[in-house]
Amino acid sequence: MLSRIADSLFWLSRYMERCDCVTRAIATNYILSFDSSSHTDFSWRDVIQLFTPTNDEHILQNGDHISNALTYLITDIKNMNSAKVLITRARENARGAQDYITKEVWEQVNQQYHFVNLHAMEDHIRGNRTLEMIEMLDQNSTLFYGVTDSTMPRGQGWNFMSLGKFLERSILSIDTTHAHFRRIDHRVDHAQDILFWKNLLLSLSGYELYLKSYTHGQHNMNVIDHIIFNKNFPRSVIYSLERTRRYLDEIVEDTKIEGSPALQKSFGRICSKVEFADMSIIQDEGLPNFLFSLRNDLVNFSNQLTRIYFSYA
Amino acid sequence: MTGHQLFQQYQGQTGIWDEMCFGEGIRSQYSRVFEAISQIPVETLLQKDKEAGELFMNQGITFTVYSDDAGIEKIFPFDIIPRILTNKEWDHIHAGITQRLKALNLFLKDIYSDQQILKDGIIPADLIASCPHYTREVFGIKVPHDLYVHISGIDLIRGQDGTFYILEDNLRTPSGVSYMLENREVTKRIFPGMLTQSKARMVNNYPLLLHDILGSLAPQQLSNPTVALLTPGVYNSAYFEHTFLARQMGIPLLEGRDLLVDNHKVYMKTTAGLQQVHVIYRRLDDDYLDPLVFRPDSALGVPGLLSAYRKGNVAIVNAVGNGVADDKAVYAYVPDMIKYYLNEEAILPNVPTYGLENIDARQYVFDNIGNMVIKRTNQSGGYGMVMGNKASEKELDDIKEAILDTPREFIAQPIIKLSTVPCFIDGKLQPRHVDLRPYALCGPSGIKIVPGGLTRVALREGSLVVNSSQGGGSKDTWVVDL
Repeated sequence: MLSRIADSLFWLSRYMERCDCVTRAIATNYILSFDSSSHTDFSWRDVIQLFTPTNDEHILQNGDHISNALTYLITDIKNMNSAKVLITRARENARGAQDYITKEVWEQVNQQYHFVNLHAMEDHIRGNRTLEMIEMLDQNSTLFYGVTDSTMPRGQGWNFMSLGKFLERSILSIDTTHAHFRRIDHRVDHAQDILFWKNLLLSLSGYELYLKSYTHGQHNMNVIDHIIFNKNFPRSVIYSLERTRRYLDEIVEDTKIEGSPALQKSFGRICSKVEFADMSIIQDEGLPNFLFSLRNDLVNFSNQLTRIYFSYA
Repeated sequence: MTGHQLFQQYQGQTGIWDEMCFGEGIRSQYSRVFEAISQIPVETLLQKDKEAGELFMNQGITFTVYSDDAGIEKIFPFDIIPRILTNKEWDHIHAGITQRLKALNLFLKDIYSDQQILKDGIIPADLIASCPHYTREVFGIKVPHDLYVHISGIDLIRGQDGTFYILEDNLRTPSGVSYMLENREVTKRIFPGMLTQSKARMVNNYPLLLHDILGSLAPQQLSNPTVALLTPGVYNSAYFEHTFLARQMGIPLLEGRDLLVDNHKVYMKTTAGLQQVHVIYRRLDDDYLDPLVFRPDSALGVPGLLSAYRKGNVAIVNAVGNGVADDKAVYAYVPDMIKYYLNEEAILPNVPTYGLENIDARQYVFDNIGNMVIKRTNQSGGYGMVMGNKASEKELDDIKEAILDTPREFIAQPIIKLSTVPCFIDGKLQPRHVDLRPYALCGPSGIKIVPGGLTRVALREGSLVVNSSQGGGSKDTWVVDL
């Protein structure tokens, strides 16, 4: 397939995945903010900082007021990770690959674009239709996954899309975990109440599975285990990495292009870091170091992938 | 209020051919639609009108208007009432366009090789020499099956007595066919019953016909040639159409940056390395195709493309240099070409056209400028056009001066009052002027035209300009068997 199309599909998927994560974080925080307590309080400042890594007080001030935080995260075009900007970028990529993606996928992305660009969107968010708008964003995101899964042909294009999705997902799971653990100075061995972790787990759609999977033990350790090592949890780091590797292998097999075996090996090394790690290694290394170096490796891998497959211009 | 009352209030304009009404009566091709719409309350029609707009919006059939740095997406207006032609009218149009395209193909072959038509004095040689679209760079290049015009969108209008005239030959990169197809899809959704009852002829096989023709043009006899569509990119106003056609034909949609030429062969850059391309349906003007031959500043084209074309390693559709045949001044000679190459009289007449280099013709035009439309020979899309009956004194003086400076760049035609069709505007049926652009495909096995085409509507009251860039819209066009 055309390198340009592969590039567009990869980024279409990454932006949609990021948008999905932003939306769920907003929805979770908004709903949990109604029964705020010392346990649950993940502030809007924290959410903003999670998606726009910044210490700019001027930007963070948006987090002091719920409506400002929501509009900053949903409709502000100055925020490079607002839902509106992400969907617009996803749509630009979809547009460039419009002949390749199915009509259904294009219409779904297009519909989401028009929804987030509704003239009255900001008024609705600031008015009394806030939850309805957030839920619609969330539903749209789910629809995108459903429509993509049920209509897109399998093959190289699908592999690049899936690669983008799972690569983005592993990075987002790392970032979200890091943001929540930062509030307790990354102390893995402490015992926080489950209510403290509810926000993180709901943001990653992993709360129910967590309750079913971990019936005893310390929550802090369990939460790390769940998000990094639980192979049944579709947003865990290990699950996302395994999926990424699967799609990468298929792409390498299909294309057999120069540089691809090296790419495969470098990703293999990243996977082993997680696959052969356990809680004691994380504790020895320190959680922030472990997460930071993993994230760094993934970003480098993405750059390497770009050089090999997308250098068409 | 029901549709019946709407029809009762509808009045054609005196002295203008109305496609639906004659005097107090309804033409037979409209009778079923008339009956069906008569039963529908106006509120439902308004709802259907809104629904049609949403369908276009959700499918991304839009163009972007930029203001305050923010893009606003707008749809090309669509009118829900179809324009209907009878099978008899269609047969006449079909025969006329087929004849015209045969002659135009022979003319292009001749003009880029022997130039017999110039030697025999049928067309003045200086008219061709002064034509900006005559492309010396392609002189002598052999094209597959001697076909130059594969895809055309010839514009027709209908005069006061119902006669169809050829208004313009579009032989380069005519657009709008996706609207023809999408308009039908929208009609299927909003008026399903009406469409089946009227037995309108099918149009949706166009992409398949086009794909067959593209495949048959591969330079070597390959069983599975690589055919691709070349687009200027996502910011082009016809980008939707490019993606639509590529998807419907199952061929890759390329931008210039996806291609390179090596050893006179064209390759596309894929994730598995380079892959040769054999046929390119380009939606890029000649000027931008190859920066080594044409505009050196073009970033949209492919350096070396023309060398591969010259060597016969790639087919380019439509052929390069077709602009000489749809030049507005050469247009006047098409009936003579038909006589010269086919020994036939033109089935569909031209609109009388005055070339302004001729002093007598020029004087006649200046004397009657109030009834004339002046067009620039090198522009399309309704740009550079002056309607004598609407222009101010100053505009008329300016255009006269410009004509005297460079008479070759202008032609004049008497203003023809285009026929009208009822349109559903602001909850009422109102007459609006229309033209018709049937899309013809020429391949080695002959000329195929899907029944109907695109009806463009001048939505502004009284306006005769149907171009989408000038406030035009479109309608679904049916050919019905009576």
